[in-house]
Amino acid sequence: MALFSQTSQQGFQALLWKCHMFWPVSRCRQLFAASFSIPNREKINYLSFMTSSSTALPVDPKETDVLPTKKRSEIDCKEGKGWDEETKEIPEGKFRFSSSLGAAKKWSMSHVQSRHKFSNVQPPEKPLQAEEWNKLREDFQSPEIFEEVMLNSMIRCNSPIDVAKSLLTHLAKRNGDIAYNVLVKYLTLCVQQGQVSEIRDVYDIMKVRFKILESGAYNLLIRGLSNSDQWRMALTLLEEVKKIMIPSRTCYESCIKAASRHQEMKLAFELYDEMLAKDVIPTLDVLQSFFDYSRGMKDAELQKELFGILLYLRDNQIYPHKTFMRSIKLWFESIPGGNWRGRLTNIKDSGQCPVCNHQLEDSNLTEEEYSNLSERIVRDVIHGTDTFRKTSPQEFEAFQTFVENRLPFDIVIDGLNVSHIKSRKMQCENLFDAVNCLAKENARLLVLGRKHMLINSSNWKREIMKEMQNKADFFFAENISEDDAFLLYATLRSGKHCKFVTRDFLRDHKACLPDSLTRHLFRKWQRGHQIVFFPSAEGRSMKFLPAFHYDCVVQTTGDTWHIPYKDVFEEKYSYQVPRKWLCIQQK
Amino acid sequence: MQSANMLLRKTVRSSVLPFAAQHRMQKDLFPLSRALSLSLCLKQDKSCEPSEKLDLDEWKKVMKSGLQEEASETVSEPKELSSLAAARETLEIWRLAGRAVPENICEEELKTFMECPSKSAKKKYLKYLHLKELQKKNDKRKMDEKRERRLEAQNQASKTDETKKSSFVCMWSSTMDKAYSWRAAQSMIFGQPLVFDMSYEKEMSVREVTNTVRQIVLSESCNRRSVDPFHIHFCNFKDDSLYHREFIKQYREAWGKLLITVTDQCYTEIFPKDKLIYLTADSPKVMKTFDHDKIYIVGSMVDKSIKTGVSLARAKRLGLETAALPLDKYLLWSTGAKNLTLDQMIHILLTLKDTADWKKALEFVPKRKYCGFVSKPVKELKKTLDLINILKHGKGREEVQKQFAKSYPKKYKLKQK
Repeated sequence: MALFSQTSQQGFQALLWKCHMFWPVSRCRQLFAASFSIPNREKINYLSFMTSSSTALPVDPKETDVLPTKKRSEIDCKEGKGWDEETKEIPEGKFRFSSSLGAAKKWSMSHVQSRHKFSNVQPPEKPLQAEEWNKLREDFQSPEIFEEVMLNSMIRCNSPIDVAKSLLTHLAKRNGDIAYNVLVKYLTLCVQQGQVSEIRDVYDIMKVRFKILESGAYNLLIRGLSNSDQWRMALTLLEEVKKIMIPSRTCYESCIKAASRHQEMKLAFELYDEMLAKDVIPTLDVLQSFFDYSRGMKDAELQKELFGILLYLRDNQIYPHKTFMRSIKLWFESIPGGNWRGRLTNIKDSGQCPVCNHQLEDSNLTEEEYSNLSERIVRDVIHGTDTFRKTSPQEFEAFQTFVENRLPFDIVIDGLNVSHIKSRKMQCENLFDAVNCLAKENARLLVLGRKHMLINSSNWKREIMKEMQNKADFFFAENISEDDAFLLYATLRSGKHCKFVTRDFLRDHKACLPDSLTRHLFRKWQRGHQIVFFPSAEGRSMKFLPAFHYDCVVQTTGDTWHIPYKDVFEEKYSYQVPRKWLCIQQK
Repeated sequence: MQSANMLLRKTVRSSVLPFAAQHRMQKDLFPLSRALSLSLCLKQDKSCEPSEKLDLDEWKKVMKSGLQEEASETVSEPKELSSLAAARETLEIWRLAGRAVPENICEEELKTFMECPSKSAKKKYLKYLHLKELQKKNDKRKMDEKRERRLEAQNQASKTDETKKSSFVCMWSSTMDKAYSWRAAQSMIFGQPLVFDMSYEKEMSVREVTNTVRQIVLSESCNRRSVDPFHIHFCNFKDDSLYHREFIKQYREAWGKLLITVTDQCYTEIFPKDKLIYLTADSPKVMKTFDHDKIYIVGSMVDKSIKTGVSLARAKRLGLETAALPLDKYLLWSTGAKNLTLDQMIHILLTLKDTADWKKALEFVPKRKYCGFVSKPVKELKKTLDLINILKHGKGREEVQKQFAKSYPKKYKLKQK
C-alpha cells in the first residue's frame, strides 16, 4: 500500500472523477489516509526509556521502580481479560495521551473505555511504601482511576498478593476507607491465587461494611472458597445469595463441583435439581463433573441420576463434546459388575450401528406430533401476526385447495433455491436437471416457485418451463410472497414419506416457533425429511444427500446407549448434526 | 516543590477552564519539577531496602476500626426490607461495583426496573437511565458555563458601556413563529397531503412508541419551517392511545393548536385509493420521481428489532400502491438498515418536493450508512468499486463480494474469473 506513488494517486483521483462519484469530503480523506499512509510503527526498545527518565519527558511511572526483567511477552495473560494486540505496538515507556479525555462526552463513558487505554501499565514487583504509591498516582494521567487500573494490571500479570496489599494499605491510610470495586478487584486477585484466608478476611470486611453484595463478588467468593478445604462455607454463602437473588450458574457450578469432588454426590444432585427447578441452565462442565467424580461407584440411586442427565441431553438435543463423551464412556466402563463396553463409531446411512448392529431410532414423528407441528407451522410461520406479511389469505386458500386436490406428493422442491445451484447455468436449466434427476423414480413432484418464473426471460425459457410442467406439478406464488412456508406446509400435509428439497437451513422459520419444544420437533422433522442438493463436477448429474433415516439424539434401549458427540472446537449450528457416535453396550 | 505543585493544581482545578486547557497548563508547568522529583525518587529507590517493613495487613485494621461504629448503628435496624428498598440497595451496590447504574432513581423507574422480565433487560434499562442521567448532568454543566460566560461578557460590556445602534429591526422568534404558522395554515388549505399511519401501536414497545412520537415531533417542526409545507394528516389515530399520551407529553398545551389534521379514520376513507402510495423499505417497487398529485403514506413506527414486512402487509391488505426510496440506485450502501427515521423521511420528501433533486434529497440519509453518491447505476461502477474496496479495506475479492451481496442482493455480482 505504501508503494503508491504520486502519479498513481492522481490516476486514482482521475478514476474517481471519471465515474462521477461524489464522496463526502471527510470520507475521501480517510480513504487516502487509509491507503497511502505508512502504518509502520517502530517498536521502540524497552531500555531506551530508562535513560530518558532524566530528561523532561513525561515518563511512565513504572520505570521508577520496576527492573526491566519481566518482558511483556513472558507474562501469560489470563483468558477473558481483554488484551488487544494493539497495545503491544505501543512503545512501552510512553503513555499515549489522547486529548479527548477532557471532553465531557468521552469522560462520561467512564472507566469502561479507559480500562482499555491503560492496559499497558506495569504493576511493581515489590510492595511499595505509601509515598511511593502517592508518587505513582501523581504521575498517572487520571489519578481518580489509578487504583482500578493498577489492580487490573495486577490481575492480568498475576502479581504477588503483597503488592496489592500495600496498595490497599496506602488507600486505607489516605481515605480511611476502601471502595467496593477496589475490594472486588483485590478479591479477584486472591481467588486467582487461591489465598483462602485472604478471601475470608475480605468477606468479613465486606459483610460488615455493606448490607448486601452483588453477584460478581458472590461469584468470586463462592468460586474461591469452593476450591479450598473450606468448601462448605461456599454452600452457606450460596444459601445467603438465594435470599437476595437467583444465584448464577457459575455459583452453582462451583458448589456442585466442590460437593462432587468430596464425594458428596447426593448433595451435588440436590443442588443440580434445585438449579433446574430455578430455570438456571447448567453448563456442560457441571454435567461432566458428575460423570468424572462418580467413576467406580456402585450405587443404583446414583446410576439413575446419571442416566437422568443423559436423558436431559436427549430432551434438549444437546451433543456432548469429545472430553465430556470420554468422561461418560469411562464412567460406564468403571461401573463395578456393570460389564459396559464403549466404542467410538460412525453410524451407517441406513441407521445401523456397525459395532452392535443395533438399528437406531427412526426420525419419524408420531401422528400426534405431526398434526401438532403442521398446525403450528400454519399458525405461527404462515399466518404469524399478519397473514399479509408472508402471503395473503386468498393466495393461501388457493394453495391449500391446490394441494388437497393433488395429494400426496413424494417430494416437494423449492424451485427458486434449486435453480441457483450452478451460477454459470441458466436458472431454469438447473431446475430442469433437478426435476429430471428426481422424476426418474416415478415420484410425484411438486415444485414451488414465484410468478416471475412464468415470464419468458434470459433465465427462464418458456419451452423448458413447459417441458418441466409435464413432469411435475407447479405452484407459483406471488412475487412478494414467501415460498418457503408453502414448502413446509405441502410436505407436512403429504405425510411421513414426503421429503423436501432445498439448501436453505430454515432458521428463520424455526425462529417463528415460539416455544423450544416445537422448535426441537421442527428440527427433528427437518433432519428426517430434508434432501440437500449439491452439484457434482461432471456435467449434468446431480448428487443429493438423502435425509437421515435415523434420529440423531442420545438414545437407549436399556442395555445399549448411543450418544452422538462433536469435536470440541467446531461449533455446530443447530441444523448441523454430528456424525460421530459413542456406542455403549452391556455384555 | 510538592506543595507548590499542589497549590498550582488546585488553582487550575478550581477555575472554570475546559479540561483540555487545564491539561496543557499541567504539561507546561510541571514537567520540570516532575523530572527533578523523579530523579530523586530513583536515587531513593536503590536505598529503599525492605529495612522499613510495611505492615501489609494494615488496611484491614483501618477498615475494621472504621466499621465498629457503623456496625453498631446498623444492627438496630429491622432486618426485613420492602422489595423496593431491597431493589434500591441492590442498585447502590451495583453502582459501587462500577456498573452502569444511575445515581438517583425515582419510584416509578424503580418499579419499571423491577418489572423487567430478565437480567439482561434490567441491565439495559439501567444503562439507559445511566446515560440519560449523564447527559442531563453534562447539559446542566454546559448551561452553567454559558451563564458564567454571559455574566462576564455583561460585566465587560457594562464597563465599556457602549450603546448599540442598529438600523435593523430585530426579528424575534415569535415573529418567525407567526410567519411559519401562516404558511402551515396555507398548507392546510392548499398543501399536498402527507399521511402518518398511526396504527402500529400494538407492534411496538413503550420505548419505541416514545421514540416514534419524538421523531414525529421533529418531522412536524421541520415541515412547518419549510418553504412549502405538506398538509400533515395523522390517520388511524385513537384518542387516549399511547401515542396520544406521548404527544401531549411532548407538545403540552400546543397539541390543540397544531396546524395538522388528526383523525381516527383510515386514509382509505379520506382519500381516493388510486392516489395513495405507501412508502415502505420492503416494497418491490422503487420510487423514480416525486409525484405532486399523489398522497404519500409513512408508517409511524420505530422497529428496533427489524420487523420486516409489517407496513408492506398493511398496504397489501388495503390494496395500495407501495414504493421504496431508490437508495440502492443512488447511494453506494455500506452498512445499516435501509429503513430511515421519520424525520429523515420527511426531510427527503420536502427536498424532493421543492427541488426534485435526488442528490440533494438523499443528503439526509445518515452519512455512516453509505460511502458515496453515484449518478450512474451501481452495476456500471463495478470495477471502480472493487478497486476502492480493496484499497479501503485491503480485502480480497471474496470479502468485497460478500459485503456487496449483503447490500445489493440481486444486482451486484462479480464476474467469476
